[in-house]
Amino acid sequence: MRSRVNFYIVEYAINSLIRQKYKTFFVVLVLSTLVFLLASLFFITNSIKYELSATVNSLPEIIVQKTKAGRHYDIDVSAVDEILDIAGVESVSARVWGYYYFENAGVNFTLVGIDEYEEQYKNSFKSAVQKLNFKTSSMLVGIGVKKIMRNNYYKEYFNFIKPDGKLKKMNIGGEFSADTELESNDVMLMSKDDAREIFDIDESKATDIVVRVANVNEIATVASKIKRLHPDSRVITKDNLKISYQNIFDYKSGVFLSFFTISLFTFFIIIYDKISGLSSEQKREIGILKAIGWRVDDVLREKFYEGLIISLFSYIVGIILAFAFVYIFNAPLMQSIFLGYSKLKTTFELPFVFDIQTLALIFFLSVPIYIAATIIPSWRSATIEADEVMR
Amino acid sequence: MIELKDITKEYSSNGAHIVRALKGINLSVKEGELVVLRGASGSGKSTILSLIAALSKPTTGEVVVDGERVSKLQDNFASEYRRETIGFVFQRYNLIPTLSVKENIILPLIPINLDAKELEDRLFRVLKMFHIEHKKEQLVKNLSGGEQQRVAIARANINNPKIILADEPTANLDEKLSLHFIEMLRELKLQGKTIIIATHDPLFFNLDFVDRVFEIHQGEII
Repeated sequence: MRSRVNFYIVEYAINSLIRQKYKTFFVVLVLSTLVFLLASLFFITNSIKYELSATVNSLPEIIVQKTKAGRHYDIDVSAVDEILDIAGVESVSARVWGYYYFENAGVNFTLVGIDEYEEQYKNSFKSAVQKLNFKTSSMLVGIGVKKIMRNNYYKEYFNFIKPDGKLKKMNIGGEFSADTELESNDVMLMSKDDAREIFDIDESKATDIVVRVANVNEIATVASKIKRLHPDSRVITKDNLKISYQNIFDYKSGVFLSFFTISLFTFFIIIYDKISGLSSEQKREIGILKAIGWRVDDVLREKFYEGLIISLFSYIVGIILAFAFVYIFNAPLMQSIFLGYSKLKTTFELPFVFDIQTLALIFFLSVPIYIAATIIPSWRSATIEADEVMR
Repeated sequence: MIELKDITKEYSSNGAHIVRALKGINLSVKEGELVVLRGASGSGKSTILSLIAALSKPTTGEVVVDGERVSKLQDNFASEYRRETIGFVFQRYNLIPTLSVKENIILPLIPINLDAKELEDRLFRVLKMFHIEHKKEQLVKNLSGGEQQRVAIARANINNPKIILADEPTANLDEKLSLHFIEMLRELKLQGKTIIIATHDPLFFNLDFVDRVFEIHQGEII
């Protein structure tokens, strides 16, 4: 039985693409670049979204900060017991943390102090407590910090400069890891006492207070009670944090997408312009094919295969390049568009997130549009009388 | 077999000016006949061939081939009719220069999706018939005029059509090649094909195997 697919037409289509090798090369180049840019954008977006969502999920339910003149100040540790008395509160911890600017590398590290006897408000800290040596000045560092330290010849210890100008030597005791790299990458985890010493925070003070609530539906109620108890404080719930994280990300991706849409549109105009005007040779060829017995649908099928081969090839090339760019080379330049603040942060590796919907979306944005742009002008020529086309 | 009844054909030139290419043509050609349409350039002979091949439609009148009104055929049916019934040798051959001899010849067979063996058999038959086996892999653009014409005739015959139409077939050939073409025509006539030739080349007018010669002048048979 003969195959339903007419391979002679497929062969003719391939041959036709080879015959127009310069035009074919140009279209493959433009389409692959387009797919590559679009795919890279989506891959980065998906990875960061994944990281953000995992990071936000690990955040404490309520954070209480003291403010004065609209600025964040250290809070009294005594507030812990007062908050603990509020009905519905499960646990309360006073946190000691802050940012440390490492001038040699031009990056900020996040220093977090933990207490081995306290209940940890993050799962990642529970396992860290087992690894961290609280008896000596030791710390666990995230993978990003570790890399920077190693590049600056701090393999075993690091000297912090305290506010009074003296040095505080801390041993690097191991690596800190969490569910997401975004959460752990720039972190230096140490005992609260060491963190207090580095930041010069008094024992009666803390950076902020985190609150865990037994019933998540009561978060808003507990937050309002804390606000009543401490009117000078800022009470931030997990939902507030989620929104602000998302807003920063959406704003950045929105700006980028606007520019990207404009360039996408421009690319398509170029492609359409390139393809819509069939050359007189191409028109004549269609006329010849019709004159020797090709039906309109035979001509269109051949053009369909041409469009399919060229766009599918470009799609696959673009996707493979985007995979390599994002997940092997970690999206140089493009990543910083989304993580603009990362100049002061350590860079982190984008996690691999496979999303079939993204691949399908890019496919439908590129392949069918290109095929349509190939078929429409050919259809116009193929439906004119062959005699007229050849003349 | 072929009947043209009260055919007129008008072309619109530059959108406004109407050119009357044919003015009431009546013509009948029997099966197996070899007919020559003689006339100067622009007399309307090529238009007659184009109408018989259903490459264009008459303004009025109808073209009937084997009892079928081909002038009324829809575009796709007209293509099938050309593929199955007509072998057209165009004045400038209308070959695709960037394809090889073999690729040009099999073009009419591509939509039929024949099996590879049958396609090869048909190709071999016409390559042999028109003595171009040795050129089959060469690009058409690298061939001489005479060779290109043989490729065009081979392509016109690949489907073994009943009717051969040739438009000014010797216009681009020297005398030797023209005589060679005439020999090929004789062979096709012997095979029983119906042949119509539009030409102003006097070589065709006194050939012993030409059945009839029609003089076309300003769109009319005189």
